[in-house]
Amino acid sequence: MMRYLYLLLFCLGTVLQALAQQNFPVNGVTSTYNAVHAFIDAEIHVDAHTSMKRAILLVKNKEIINVGQSIDIPENAIIHNLEGAHIYPSFIDPYTNYGLLEVENTKWNPRPQLESNTPGAYSWNQALMPEFRASENFSPNNSVAESYIEMGFGTVLSFRNDGIIRGASAVVSLADGKAQELLVKINNLAHYSFSKGNSQQNYPSSFMGSIALLRQSIYDAIWAKHNNDYSNLSLVELHKILKLKPIIELDNHYAIRNATALGEEFKMNFIIKGLGDSYLSINDLKNTKSQFIVPLNFPKAYNVSDPYDCLDLSLEKMKHWELAPANASLLASVGVSFAFTAYDLKDKKDFLNHLRKTVDYGLSKEAALEALTTVPAKMLNIADEYGLLKKGMKANFLIFDQELFNPKSELLENWVHGVGYTIKLKNEHDYRGSYILKIDGAILPLDISGTPENLKAEITTKDTLKVSFKVENKLVHISYKDKYNDVIRLSGQGIDPIEGEGQLANGDWVSFVMKRKAAFVEIPKEKKDNKQLFNVDKVTLINEMGEQWAPNMAYGWTEKPKQNAVLFTNTTLWTNETEGIINNASLAIYNGKIIAVGNEAVALIRNKYDFEIIDGEGKHLTSGIIDEHSHIALRSVNEGSQASSAEVRMADALRPNDINIYRQLAGGVTSAQLLHGSANPIGGQAALIKMRWGASAQEMLFEEAKPFIKFALGENVKQSNWGAYSRIRFPQTRMGVEQVYFDAFTRARAYEKEWNTWFKLSASQKKTSKMPRKDLDLACILEILKDEREITCHSYRQSEINMLMQVADSMNFTLNTFTHILEGYKVADKIKAHGAGASTFSDWWAYKYEVNDAIPHNGSILNDMGIVTAFNSDDPEMARRLNQEAAKAVKYGNTSEEDAWKFVTLNPAKLLHIDATVGSLKTGKDADIVLWSNHPMSVYSKVEQTYVDGRLYYSLELDAENRLRNNTERTRLIQKMLADKNEGKAIQKIKKDRSYHFHCDTKE
Amino acid sequence: MTKMKNLLFILSTLFALQAFAQTPAPDQSKRVLLYGATAHIGNGEIIESSLIIIENGKISTIEDASKIRIDISDADYYDVIGKHVYPGFILPNTTLGLADIDAVRASRDFDEVGELNPHIRSIIAYNTDSPVLPTIRTNGVLVGQITPQGGMISGTSSIVEFDAWNYEDALYKEDDGVHLNWPQSPRLDRNHNHSEDSKVEYNDDLLDLEHFFNNAKSYYLSNKPKLDITFKAMEGIFDGSKQLFIHVSSAKGIKQAVLFAKKMNVQKLVLVGAEESWRIADFIAENETPVILNRVHRLPTYKNDAVDMAYKTPKILQDAGVLFCLDYEGDMERMGSRNLPFTAGTAVAYGLTKEEALTSISLSTAIVLGIEETVGSLEIGKDATLFVSDGDALDMMTNRVTLAFIRGKKLDLGNHQIDLYNKYSQKYKRNLEIENGLE
Repeated sequence: MMRYLYLLLFCLGTVLQALAQQNFPVNGVTSTYNAVHAFIDAEIHVDAHTSMKRAILLVKNKEIINVGQSIDIPENAIIHNLEGAHIYPSFIDPYTNYGLLEVENTKWNPRPQLESNTPGAYSWNQALMPEFRASENFSPNNSVAESYIEMGFGTVLSFRNDGIIRGASAVVSLADGKAQELLVKINNLAHYSFSKGNSQQNYPSSFMGSIALLRQSIYDAIWAKHNNDYSNLSLVELHKILKLKPIIELDNHYAIRNATALGEEFKMNFIIKGLGDSYLSINDLKNTKSQFIVPLNFPKAYNVSDPYDCLDLSLEKMKHWELAPANASLLASVGVSFAFTAYDLKDKKDFLNHLRKTVDYGLSKEAALEALTTVPAKMLNIADEYGLLKKGMKANFLIFDQELFNPKSELLENWVHGVGYTIKLKNEHDYRGSYILKIDGAILPLDISGTPENLKAEITTKDTLKVSFKVENKLVHISYKDKYNDVIRLSGQGIDPIEGEGQLANGDWVSFVMKRKAAFVEIPKEKKDNKQLFNVDKVTLINEMGEQWAPNMAYGWTEKPKQNAVLFTNTTLWTNETEGIINNASLAIYNGKIIAVGNEAVALIRNKYDFEIIDGEGKHLTSGIIDEHSHIALRSVNEGSQASSAEVRMADALRPNDINIYRQLAGGVTSAQLLHGSANPIGGQAALIKMRWGASAQEMLFEEAKPFIKFALGENVKQSNWGAYSRIRFPQTRMGVEQVYFDAFTRARAYEKEWNTWFKLSASQKKTSKMPRKDLDLACILEILKDEREITCHSYRQSEINMLMQVADSMNFTLNTFTHILEGYKVADKIKAHGAGASTFSDWWAYKYEVNDAIPHNGSILNDMGIVTAFNSDDPEMARRLNQEAAKAVKYGNTSEEDAWKFVTLNPAKLLHIDATVGSLKTGKDADIVLWSNHPMSVYSKVEQTYVDGRLYYSLELDAENRLRNNTERTRLIQKMLADKNEGKAIQKIKKDRSYHFHCDTKE
Repeated sequence: MTKMKNLLFILSTLFALQAFAQTPAPDQSKRVLLYGATAHIGNGEIIESSLIIIENGKISTIEDASKIRIDISDADYYDVIGKHVYPGFILPNTTLGLADIDAVRASRDFDEVGELNPHIRSIIAYNTDSPVLPTIRTNGVLVGQITPQGGMISGTSSIVEFDAWNYEDALYKEDDGVHLNWPQSPRLDRNHNHSEDSKVEYNDDLLDLEHFFNNAKSYYLSNKPKLDITFKAMEGIFDGSKQLFIHVSSAKGIKQAVLFAKKMNVQKLVLVGAEESWRIADFIAENETPVILNRVHRLPTYKNDAVDMAYKTPKILQDAGVLFCLDYEGDMERMGSRNLPFTAGTAVAYGLTKEEALTSISLSTAIVLGIEETVGSLEIGKDATLFVSDGDALDMMTNRVTLAFIRGKKLDLGNHQIDLYNKYSQKYKRNLEIENGLE
């Protein structure tokens, strides 16, 4: 990139005119003159919707002094003749790290870090940096600025991409100059994320922990302000930046939901910086108030040439590859307002191409231009000076040789604050054509072809001679080897003729003249046609555009299953009610509910609806399996960095596109409780879901569920198997665990008292009184004491089971469920007396020291003692065979078949307090039912149909259709990617999907 | 003897880790007669009402009971009418006895340091008193191939019976094979990328292997001037006295492994794991390579795969004519391997016949491991390593093993867990009696 020479001369003058910098000393004499620049004859795009042909743009100093078609040009104006060119406002990137030091990754340290290493009276947590100000750290960087200027940007927002609270950003100009001159706006936007970034501090270790920390911090800032407590500088600064417009960076479209919820909690309307996959949450965005920052970054096609290696490439990645360029147009189609950013774009040269691609994929040109100009200008509160070409606005504009969206169009100049940057220097004259070169008595035919920027010349005598033909500052350099292999060098001027002098190989100087004899004729390139590469069918495959599936991956729906009226006849019903197991019976469902159980009841409504009839002869119909202990469909599982993480909510970390949801439907599972892991004594708030494959995270949650929290005892909570370094976080023994509970419940009671006192104060008293601190951890623990939240406690050894019951008794509450509870059989009498239920494994043992005394008869003993007993999975594979696990209660403990079946259906429903709606075949309950090919607990039985809310989410037939659809779609996309490869487009290596195989002790 | 048992019982409950296995059974002294059970031979055949006579540890008679007259004098006679008798199930590729508790490092003995360790012998670490063992055999699993893990060549396995005083007693076939973990291709880097570097690494791994095998073969063909324990351990691969077990899961890896073994003149190759064998079942069948198929109760490899892919892989291999058997390698494999019969049961739900499924955990396993002459099916002359179940042993609802023999020795079917069950059942029974004023 070159700057205009004359502008460089005046640059200093411009600097000195800036009011704020008048106190800067000048090293030399002061220039005071500012010339007017007149850009004439171009088509000027004043904004995305308005353009003027053959218009004039007048610029002086940093500003536009006039724009229009019939305006006077001052006599002394410097004229820029731009016939045929297009002028646009320069782009604004609302998301960059320009001018800030790159955040260096700190080395991973295996030693736990419980406290912050940051010096100063700042936050306890290193991931919170509300005190950071981009303006205080900004230093212009020419080479980075150039890369943005070359893409067409004039102004950018700059923030530091580290931490959960990232402080305030600055809007800066990309022009040359000192930081003081370039700051356009400071401290008007605040930045957040759900990723702790570079902090090595243990907390937060999970996604839901990040959200909890962010929420707690905001409450703390408000609290500190109320109490006039300025001791914590981070809280003081956080309170300040809370008033700014907030931007939050997300790593996944599912997190949009988290940002929206956070926004509602704190009345913050977040601008959402997504990752280019926001279209996947399009159904949730129809009424969004949030603006988006959309990266113009699309994945390249993958290298799919090896059919086996290609297996590692998931259909969701392939589908996203195809649909990613449509992200912007899909957002626009539901009325979402967004700005584009070049953030995330690795090769900045792709920027304009990607912009044009979004238009090819359906975004209007106007919307695309707005997303680069007026929308970000408003977003950054600089619309009064940037984003439009109007009198009085800053002179930030782009000169393109053709209309911007024309794929051949090139950015020639980018003017920033009245300073022009040449991006592409076009030769003023097209030298191509056929010439006659006269030199030293010889007459040689000389052809110039190629492109105007990259000329190719040759002398076309019998033996074609290669010629070097270069134009430099209006002088023409020619050199070639003649037939004697002597080099002849010429330098001339002019266009037609070109005249000048040169030196022969013998050293003699001669003059030459070159006359044009014919103009250049372009021979159109042969275009490669896909049809030549593939047969016709494949071409249709390639040209087809895929639909978005729900979820957009293998086994995703093209159409959501419907609630039909279905009648099952002549089958065996496992009612889980007093009727027990009924043979040769019927059952009807309608509108998501069971409406009749048994032949008599069915007869009454038989003609009321138009039933689909399923002949259940030889088959068994049961209520759906409910898994009390699962870690599927989550993006993280443990916030184990502190003894209590009651503040974290598993519902925040839902991952509704987990294929295990579909797989478990195939195993007859209709509901699962998604639990926090067992890394600490007080875990997180549980999420109960129905297996509504294809639904959003919010839709997946079980509506009527009572809140639960996970507790844990034993080896995991004392970090027994965490390696040699993890020996410092309290507790490290079972003795410590007891104290964690006493402490937590004692503090929760005190917390309640504090707040009760506060609530009794009058409004005026409140103003002058110290407000108690809202503590998300204690607030949750208090819910337990107030019987608003139940506990399910991961437990093995009898001593600690008894301990926790003692704690509960002394604090006057009841434990709802002991989960895993492998030594439950040793203390079944005490559990019964306390009133807790049990959710255990059928036959697991010997994987940890503490499960040495686990026995497969455990469930049966507990059940025999009259304790509500369930079998859980804690494992995504075994979860789909919980029917077989139930059978083991029959095998090992002689439990009756009917009772054993309840271990995985009605009993977990009771433990979860959802037995009023699910868990048995009863009129009025949800139609969460499963049709089995055989006795449901037989190893030879298969699920034939699984319904959730009366919707058929799995059946053998549907599954076969889904597999066919998967493979057709894969085949189509593979051919499409191969076509990209054959066209020479850039491709990327295959990346395997991240595996999310969580157990209780997964450390994240 | 009773006193001794009580003592053991107390010890086992006081020091859980040191819990002792059941006392090994004495050699068979009397003839054993099993009358009336449905005999599942293991080769696909069934005798509805059978008579089995065990003499000197061997099956001397197996017949349709209605066709034979028997003398029950001086014999241990068992009326097993209505029950089922099976050949003892065989568990290949297992770390049973090489560790007791996953999370306790001191109890783990299956992964030695080093990449090329053919000389490492699993058998010497095999703990006959592992409390896990008796809980496995109570479901009918009586023989196992004790296999080391880790590294590229993890070591040499041995086949044992699950009832012994020490490893020497337990041995059924010593040093039966060398285990090679096929390098992963393409190797994935930390970010799950297929990187070019990883391809280079993969090729390096293959070159290392080739180099190692070439040297091993050269040593085998030499006059062995000096003993080299590593290459000595490889000799059997070339003379056919040991099998080479290549552990490999991907379709591409399987092909490469088979071609590699051919190139190296490996006499007997067995594929282990082979999760993706279903993609290339015909290739495997054509090459007559047997397969020890990884745990049927497994998630599909890819999201795109059929949800029941692992469940139906046995049927695909069966149809293609591949000789295969089932293992239980993976998470919690030792304590979980008592579920081996149920993985065969699942294969029935997804296509195999019950008798084919049985073969895949008995006779086929014996053939794959090269011990079919003496074990693996209920045939005259074979070891009387068999058991009786009240019902279908492949279904958890009906698998109730009431009698089990290893070479005619009648096993103690108790275990640590049953002891605890009895102990605590007593507790509640007593409580109930006190409540009801009976005491």
